[in-house]
Amino acid sequence: MRALTTAASGMQAQQMNVEVISNNLANMNTTGFKRQRAEFQDLIYQNVQAMGMNSSDAGTIVPTGVQVGLGVQASSIYRITEQGSLNNTGNPFDLAISGRGFFRIQMPDGSDAYTRAGNFAISAEGQIVTADGYPVAPGIAIPQDSREVSINSQGQVQALIDGQTEPQTVGQLELATFFNEGGLEAIGDNLFLESAASGAANVGTPDSPGYGAVMQGYVESANVNAVSEITALIQAQRAYEMNARVITAADEMLAASSNLR
Amino acid sequence: MDNAIMIGLTRQMTLRRGMDVIANNIANAETAGFKAESLLLENQPARIAEHSDGPSDLQYVNTWGMGRDFSQGAMEFTGRPFDVAIEGDGFFAVESNGREQYTRDGRFHTDNQGQLVASDGALVLDADTRGPILLDTNAANTTIVDGGAVMQDGVQVGRIGVFEIANRSAMTKEGNGRYTLPASDNPDDAPQAMFDPVVRQGFVESSNVQSIVEITDMMSIMRSYQSVSKFLKDAEDLNQRAIERLGRVS
Repeated sequence: MRALTTAASGMQAQQMNVEVISNNLANMNTTGFKRQRAEFQDLIYQNVQAMGMNSSDAGTIVPTGVQVGLGVQASSIYRITEQGSLNNTGNPFDLAISGRGFFRIQMPDGSDAYTRAGNFAISAEGQIVTADGYPVAPGIAIPQDSREVSINSQGQVQALIDGQTEPQTVGQLELATFFNEGGLEAIGDNLFLESAASGAANVGTPDSPGYGAVMQGYVESANVNAVSEITALIQAQRAYEMNARVITAADEMLAASSNLR
Repeated sequence: MDNAIMIGLTRQMTLRRGMDVIANNIANAETAGFKAESLLLENQPARIAEHSDGPSDLQYVNTWGMGRDFSQGAMEFTGRPFDVAIEGDGFFAVESNGREQYTRDGRFHTDNQGQLVASDGALVLDADTRGPILLDTNAANTTIVDGGAVMQDGVQVGRIGVFEIANRSAMTKEGNGRYTLPASDNPDDAPQAMFDPVVRQGFVESSNVQSIVEITDMMSIMRSYQSVSKFLKDAEDLNQRAIERLGRVS
């Protein structure tokens, strides 16, 4: 009986849906987190009676045919890269991107990773680093005797050094954009890697055309909307229950048959 | 075999198939762009083999076709720029393996070259050129206006094709929310790009499966199946009693 496996595929899909929703809710307060959505598609169809077949010698054809679907599958789980809200923290090394783009991070193995989470800090050597201590590319060193650091929307890092009146430019932040941001590979710790689906990184200056602006003293909060996640959770749960009901009903039909004798 | 049992059997076979269709509808109750289906049945009048005094209008039952409900699914707001939903008639066209396929699922993406694609990478076709739609991903904003035109920073870069299909019941379902059209000699059957479609950006058309209807249908199928089983058993009991009584030697 196909109904059993079809409903089972429905239950599996809804289970995956709940897993994605619970990950979104768990990361509600993760800086720079982008919510995900599970997408479903119907599975292949089995032709019981193909449309277009001849139904008589006179050349009449079956107009609609009978195609029985075999259930549902998850087609993709993609990230919705919508802007999260910006929260003021007052910390000079909290940077948020308003618009498109990612900060480029140098991983310990020399490769590049990308992040929207700009809750940076200063390392013992004066470099701007992530919460894990990975340097933000290109490496920007803040002089030790600087009184104040200001970062403007174009990503220019200026330090006011003790005893001087003019601020000094000590570095320039870069942003990377991708053709397909949804295709970036998430590796945890708020980091993403470039993939064949995302395309190569286009590095540019913040606040130039196509790139977002850097906001000093702000962090970008997760773009998870609790209300819509909870509504999606309710829908997923009900859909799961309905698929379970189909299994029960199919089982009762089979029982009716097997009780014949 | 007895006619009663054979008729009961045809009914049970169609009920099972109907159950499969309902299971597929319910499994796809959350699939964007999915259209609910129902099984159409027909009577098959059959002549009785031997009896001359028996009933003269035996009717077997058989599946005849699939009814597809192409009514509008609910519009779900997502706010994603590449989620588009069609209001009213028409289908998006995508090209997969060199073949045009049609779908109501408008959850599109950009690929690594900036082309507008469906979730499996199939190219979304333009209404006018029937080719891919190339986007400039450095554009500050991308809007898709109601007629399907894709505007980037005020410049039109393409028009998402919404195609009118005259003979929707002839479409073959391919899975993945896709339909294909069989080759046809009739030029009227070829899909035509609609002149003024209604396309909504930031919305996804959810499945038009009505859970209440499906669950009610499911219960009625299950109960009918059980009563046919009961009826088969009664018919068999009748046979058995006849054999016992008629075969008694006394």
